[in-house]
Amino acid sequence: MITDPEAVRDVFASHYFFFAFLAGLGTLQIAVANSGIRGLWLTPNRLVNRWLGVVLILTGIAVFFGQPLWIEGPWAAGSIQADSVTREWGQANWSELAGARNVNDIHGGLDGTKQAIWFPLAAIVAFAVAAIAGTLTIKISRDNSSSGEIGADDSADQPGVGLEGLTHRSYFANLPSSLRTFRSEVGDIWRNGLTKADRWSLLRLIFGRSSN
Amino acid sequence: MNSIDVDLVIWLNGLSGNVKIFDDLIRLIASDYLMPLVFSLAMFGLWFSGKNPAERMRYQLTMLIGISALSLSNVVVWLINITWDRPRPFVEHGDELNLLFYPPTDPSFPANPVAVGFAAAMAAWSINRTFGWWMFAAAALYGFSRLYAGIFYPTDILGGAVVGIAVYWFTLYLRRFLEPFVTSFIALVRGLSAA
Repeated sequence: MITDPEAVRDVFASHYFFFAFLAGLGTLQIAVANSGIRGLWLTPNRLVNRWLGVVLILTGIAVFFGQPLWIEGPWAAGSIQADSVTREWGQANWSELAGARNVNDIHGGLDGTKQAIWFPLAAIVAFAVAAIAGTLTIKISRDNSSSGEIGADDSADQPGVGLEGLTHRSYFANLPSSLRTFRSEVGDIWRNGLTKADRWSLLRLIFGRSSN
Repeated sequence: MNSIDVDLVIWLNGLSGNVKIFDDLIRLIASDYLMPLVFSLAMFGLWFSGKNPAERMRYQLTMLIGISALSLSNVVVWLINITWDRPRPFVEHGDELNLLFYPPTDPSFPANPVAVGFAAAMAAWSINRTFGWWMFAAAALYGFSRLYAGIFYPTDILGGAVVGIAVYWFTLYLRRFLEPFVTSFIALVRGLSAA
């Protein structure tokens, strides 16, 4: 490889982040459409969300693996061959596209640890985007029609917290009650968990087995 | 045994070079990015997939175990690697192989990507059999692609699968020692409206 691995890694990291973001947002849409978590829907329609999810995933894959065609990187001039050392910086052509992303991590590809950092970040951003879009979708849907398909109600007296609350509330309407419930229940969860925990639980070993 | 191992990888890899589109497909599947992202997305999607709070809690606990197993299987593979530095097939039989992938520098046994894939598949399988079998198929396909590409022996793939499954069961058992941290963590994420 004629290029600094750090420069290659920067290219891979930004591309991978966008890939994981699109595919993560798509997966999230399919999952929340199936489980009825309306607060995270990008559109008010379940079926549209499901198909939008599929399109987002396929777009993510196509963009990530197609990018070497129009973006310069360490894939040209020999990427059809296995060895990532002999490659030069440039654009790939169609015949070498399939192997263009196969760059060893010591030459700037992303290793498992780097992916384990970038994927959760991309997933969090995808969740945030869905939460914001879901809030807007619920608001628009409520403003336009009282009998809109989404049928969501932001009122605080609706039951459920966490994702259950998001089945009928927007993220920002749901957050205060979820946090309140967490604060009020965390003590019980901890004590009950400790009581039910295995007798070899780390905490029971540390604080003594009489803690129940 | 070693002879069968070598014969199999040479025979399978010998099929490459005939149909370019198939070789290209293998290059894509063998990529460091496609299948690992599929496993990660499966974990991410299942987190949000329960139909009610109880089912969601069960899914999320299993996903946490799956993610932990996935990480732990990397550690187990590393421990085996420092114990036994098995050379890659292309190092010992380079003149008989048509390498379709970059030549990795880490030891061959066990196949790390397969271990990770099988750990994730076990987590999915334990909550949804149908989806779990698809995940196993994806993990096996990932292993096959690396075998076809000439960078693993068949026993590396089998070893990786065994490591992934064994580490998942171990992590399942380990959870008992980590309570109430695990349940409290999910409660915290629920407080942030994400569980």
